[in-house]
Amino acid sequence: MNLLRRFLRTPEAIAGAVILAALFAMALAASLLFPGDPQAIAGTALLLPFQDWSLPLGTDRLGRDVLAELFHGARTSLAVGLAAAAAALAVGAIVGTLAGFAGGLADEVLMRITDAFQTVPSFLLALAFVSIVGPSLGVVVAAIALGAWTGPARVARAEVLSIRERDFVAGARVIGMHPLEIAFREVLPNALPPVLALSSVIVAAAILTEAALSFLGLGDPNRVTWGGMIAEGRAMLRTAPFLSIIPGVALVLTVLGVYLAGEGVVETTAAMRGLS
Amino acid sequence: MTRALTLLRRRLVGSIFVLLIVVIGTFLLLEAAPGDAVDAYIVSTGGDAGMIELLRHRWGLDQTELTRLANYLWALLHLDLGQSVTFSRPIRDVILERLPNTLLLMGSATVLSFGLGSALGIYAGARPGGFRDRLLSIGSLALHAVPGFWLGLVLIIVFAVDLRWLPIGGIETLVSAKTGLERAADIARHLVLPVSALGFIYLALYLRMMRAGMAEVWRQDFVLAARAKGLSRRRIVLHHVARNALLPLVTMLGLQSVQMLGGSVVIESVFSVPGLGRLAQEAVAARDTPLLLGIILTSAVLVVVINLLVDIAYALLDPRVGASEAGA
Amino acid sequence: MSDFRISRRTMLAGSALLLASTAMPTIGWAQTPKKGGRLDVAADSEPRNLNPAIVASNGVFFISSKIVETLAEASFDGKDGLDPRLAVNWEGATDGLSVTFKLREGVKWHDGKPFTSADVAFSALQIWKPLQNLGRTVFKDLEAVDTPDELTAVFKFTKPTPFQLIRNALPALSSVVPKHVYETGKIEDNPANNAPVGTGPFKFADYKPGQYYRLEKNADYWGKDQPYLDEIVYQVLPDRTSAASALEAEEIQLAAFSAVPLADLDRISKVPGLKVITKGYEGLTYQLVVEINHRRKELADLKVRQAIAHAIDKDFVVKRVFLGYAATATGPVPKNDPQFYTADVPTYAFDVARANALLDEAGYKKNDDGKRFSLRLLPAPYFNETKQFGDYLRQALAAIGIDAQLVNNDSAAHIKAVYTDHAFDLAVGPPVFRGDPAISTTILMQSGIPDGVPFSNQGGYKNDDLDALIAKASETLDTAARTELYKQFQKKVAEDLPLINIAEWSFISVARDTVRNIADNPRWAVSSWADTWIEG
Repeated sequence: MNLLRRFLRTPEAIAGAVILAALFAMALAASLLFPGDPQAIAGTALLLPFQDWSLPLGTDRLGRDVLAELFHGARTSLAVGLAAAAAALAVGAIVGTLAGFAGGLADEVLMRITDAFQTVPSFLLALAFVSIVGPSLGVVVAAIALGAWTGPARVARAEVLSIRERDFVAGARVIGMHPLEIAFREVLPNALPPVLALSSVIVAAAILTEAALSFLGLGDPNRVTWGGMIAEGRAMLRTAPFLSIIPGVALVLTVLGVYLAGEGVVETTAAMRGLS
Repeated sequence: MTRALTLLRRRLVGSIFVLLIVVIGTFLLLEAAPGDAVDAYIVSTGGDAGMIELLRHRWGLDQTELTRLANYLWALLHLDLGQSVTFSRPIRDVILERLPNTLLLMGSATVLSFGLGSALGIYAGARPGGFRDRLLSIGSLALHAVPGFWLGLVLIIVFAVDLRWLPIGGIETLVSAKTGLERAADIARHLVLPVSALGFIYLALYLRMMRAGMAEVWRQDFVLAARAKGLSRRRIVLHHVARNALLPLVTMLGLQSVQMLGGSVVIESVFSVPGLGRLAQEAVAARDTPLLLGIILTSAVLVVVINLLVDIAYALLDPRVGASEAGA
Repeated sequence: MSDFRISRRTMLAGSALLLASTAMPTIGWAQTPKKGGRLDVAADSEPRNLNPAIVASNGVFFISSKIVETLAEASFDGKDGLDPRLAVNWEGATDGLSVTFKLREGVKWHDGKPFTSADVAFSALQIWKPLQNLGRTVFKDLEAVDTPDELTAVFKFTKPTPFQLIRNALPALSSVVPKHVYETGKIEDNPANNAPVGTGPFKFADYKPGQYYRLEKNADYWGKDQPYLDEIVYQVLPDRTSAASALEAEEIQLAAFSAVPLADLDRISKVPGLKVITKGYEGLTYQLVVEINHRRKELADLKVRQAIAHAIDKDFVVKRVFLGYAATATGPVPKNDPQFYTADVPTYAFDVARANALLDEAGYKKNDDGKRFSLRLLPAPYFNETKQFGDYLRQALAAIGIDAQLVNNDSAAHIKAVYTDHAFDLAVGPPVFRGDPAISTTILMQSGIPDGVPFSNQGGYKNDDLDALIAKASETLDTAARTELYKQFQKKVAEDLPLINIAEWSFISVARDTVRNIADNPRWAVSSWADTWIEG
C-alpha cells in the first residue's frame, strides 16, 4: 500500500498510470465493443468525425470505422510494444548473465557480438530484417527486439559482474550447485531490477519503430496498428487530416504514458531500495 | 598516455572482430532474403527466362554464396568495397558522395538536440520538480513520441508550402552554380527543416538525462558545501551542478550517433536528402548486398571511431578507467 | 513499359476516356510557342540504366525519350495510331517476312555524326533482339537488317511476323542508339548507358545521384524550331507526398506518372495555378488483375473462380480505390484500346448470393465459423492501389466465407514468391497492356512458360484451346483475321477465368498552367517533349 502511495505521489506518475489504464481498457474492450474485423467496410468512405454517431470518429478511404480501428490498434500497438520489450529484455538478460558470469573467452565473444549489434543502427537492422523475412506482427516484434536487446545485455552483465563476487554466490559454489543454475537461479534475479528499468524506454521505442516501419510500407496488413493508420492517412494529410491526427494523438499519449509510468516505477523502486 | 595507447590497441583488435561479425551477419541476412538483385531489377522491366539468366550471370549471382562471401572479404582486405549492382559504379564513390550529406544532417541534429537539450535540461533541473521542469520535461517527451515522418510532413506543409520560408527538401538548390559562402548558406537553409525534425525527436533524451543528472548532483556534498558558502544559485547551477551532470551525456553522444543514422532513413526520404540512410533503404529494396554491406561498414567504422574518441577522452581525463574492464 | 518503380509510391490513375470532364490540358493553339525556360519535373526513381534500347520501361523513357528517339511515336490521330520520328515511312511485305523503313534525312547525333540506316541495323540486331527486355520476344525471329542505302532499313524475319505487331511495338521498342558509340566494347558496360547519346530534342547534361538529372536543348534538332525549352531538370523526390508539396511551393512545374497521390488530386485541382491532367497516358494502360494459382485444388474449380469474380464489386473498386480515375474491366484487353477490344464477353455482376451459391455447388460448404477455406493473398507492392485493392479483396472474400490472409512483401520478395516459387493462392498484379496482346498480354494465360519469368502465367493454368488460339494469332498476318482471333481470345479468357480482370487505369499529371503542349499524344510523359513550352 505504501508502495502505491509512493508511486502516486507525483502528478506525472498518476497521469502515466491513468493513460496506461485507459489503454489497457481499450485493448480489452476492443472485441466486446467492436466484435468482428475492424478492417471491415462499415460505411461511406471518408466520413468526417462527429457526423454520424454510429461511426463517431468517421471512416477512412475504404469506409472502415476509425473508432473500431483505434480500439483494435490499441491492442496491437500495446502487444507489439510489450512483446518486443519482453523479448529484448529476456535475450539481453540471458546474454548479459552468461557473459558476466562465465567471463573469459565466452564473455569476450558475447560482448563482441553485442558490440556488432550496437554498431548497426537498430532501425536499419529492423528495416532490413522485416524487408527480408516479410512483415507480419511476429517478425516486426522480432526485428525490434533484435535492435533493442543490447542495452539490457550490457546492464545485466555489469550487474552480474558485481554480484558474482558476493558471499551467497560463493556459498552456492561451495555446496556444488551447477554454474548455470547459480547464474540463472541466484545471480540473474538479483541483477534484474536495473534491467527491467529499461523496459519503458524499449516499449515506447518499439511502438514508434512499428509506426516508422509501417510508414515505409512494412506493416502487417492483416492487423490494425496506430502506426499503420498514421502511415495510411499521411497521403491525405491535407484533405483528411483527422485520419492521421487521431491515431497520432493516441500514439503520443501512449508513449508519454509509458514513459511517465515507467519513470514513476523506477523512482518508487529506487526509493524502496534506498529505504531497505 | 601509454594507458591510452594500450586501450587504443585493445580496442582496434576488438573492432576488427566486431566488423567481421557485422559483415558476415549482414551478408547472411541478405542471402536469406527472398528474391535477389535480379528479382528486384525485373520488377521495373520484365523480361524472359534467357534475359534473367544473362543478368544473374553478369552480376555474379550464379556463384555460390560462399564464393561470393570469400570474394567480398578478399576484396575488402584490399580496401575495395566492390561494385554496386544498382548504380553500376564503385560503391566507395557512391558512399563518399552521400556521406557528407548524412554527416552534416546527423551532426547538426546532434548539436541541436545536445545543445538545446542540455541547456533546457539545466534550466529545468535548476529547480527540480518546479513548473518549468515539468512542462519542459513533458513537452520534450511529447515531441519524442511523435513519429519522425509525421513531424517532418507537418513541418513541410507549414514552413515550406504555406509560409514558403524554407525549401521543401533536397540538400541545396539544384543546378544553382552557387559557390563558397553563398552555397553554404543555401545548404544551411535546406537543412533547417530536416535537422529540426531529426533533432527535436532526440531532444528529450538529452534534456531528461541532464535534469536527472542534475537532480543527482544537487544532493552531493560539494554542492551542499557550495550552498553553505553562500554562492549564488545561478553560480552553483552552472559551475557545479551542470558541469558534473554533463559527463554522462558525452557518453550518450557516442551511442546516439549510430541511432541517428537509423532515424535519418525516414527523414532523408521525407525531405529528399541524398544521404546514406535513404541509400541503405534503397539497397535493401534492390537487394544490393555489397552496397548495403558498404553502408553498414561505413556506419560501423564511424561508430568505432566515435567510441574510441570517447574512450580516449575518458582515459585521459580519468585515470581510474585505464585499461580495465569498464569499457568492454 | 512497366516501370512500376516510377510510381511504386503513387498510384495511379485514370483512364482519360472516362474522365474527359476533369480539367483538360490547355493547348496553346492560338498562341505562338515561346522559346526558352527551364522545366522542373518530379522524378521518383533513378533508373540504373538510361539506355531505352536495352531497357524499354517507363522509368527509363521518362528521362531518356527526350534524348534517344524511336522510329515512330504513338499519336492520337496518325495513321495506325503512329506519328513518324526517325522513320518517315514503313511498309510490311505481304508474306510477313520483311518490313521496310524509310528514314528521316538530315538527322544528326548529339556528337555531330550523321544518323544512318547502319545505326538502325546495329540497334535492332545487336541490342533490341538480344538484350532488350521486350525486344527479345517481339524481334526473336529477326534475322538480318539490310541497308541498301543510308536511309533505308529492311528488317528480314525467318518466320512470318504480323506487321500489325511490329507497328504496335514501334513506340516503345524501337529506340535507336548510335552504332559508332556502341560498336567497341561490351554494350552493357558502355558509359553511354548512363549518359545517353541520341538524336532527340534534348542532350544529356548531368546527373547528381539522389538529386537531379539535367537535360539541355539540342540546337541541331531536326524538328523545325524545336525544342522550345532550354532545359529540363528532373528533381528526385522519393517521398510520395513531396511532389504535391513541391508543386504548391512552385519548386517544380510538372509531376507526371501520378506522383501526386489520387487522394490529393481533388484538393490540388483547386490550387490556383495548378491543373490536373488525365490525358496523355492512353498508350500506357495498367490492368488490375487477380492472379490465380490453379495448383490450389479449390481454385482449379471454375465455379470457385466464378464465385470470386461475382464477389468483387468493381464499381466500388473504381470509386473507392481509384477515386474514379479508372474504368471497370471486362477482360484482358482494356476498353480504351482502339484495335482489339470487344465487349462481347461473359461478365460477372457483383452478386454475393450468387457467389455463395456457386461455392456451395462446388462443394465448399461453410464451416461452423462461417468459413469455407483459407488462402494466401499477395497484393503486388508496386502501387498503393494494388495494396488497397488487396485490403478490399480480403473483405470481399470474407463476405463469401473465404478467409484470405494478406502477405505483404517488398517488390523483390513479391516477384520471387509469385513468379518463381509459386508461393501464393491469389495475387493482385498490375500487368501493362502495350497496344498489342502479343507483346505482354497473352503471356499471362499461355502455358509452358519457364519458372521465374515475371508478369507471366505462373499459376499453373493450362488450357489447350487457349494455347492453340494464342499460337494461331501470333502467326496470322492478315490484320482483320488477327484482330478477330484476339476477340475470341478475350471471350475465352472471360469464360474460363485463368485470371480475373478488375479494372484498368493509367496515370495523372499535375502541372502549372503555364506549361503548354502537354498530353498531346497517348504516351506523352514518355515522348520527346520537343513541342512543350512555358508561357510567360
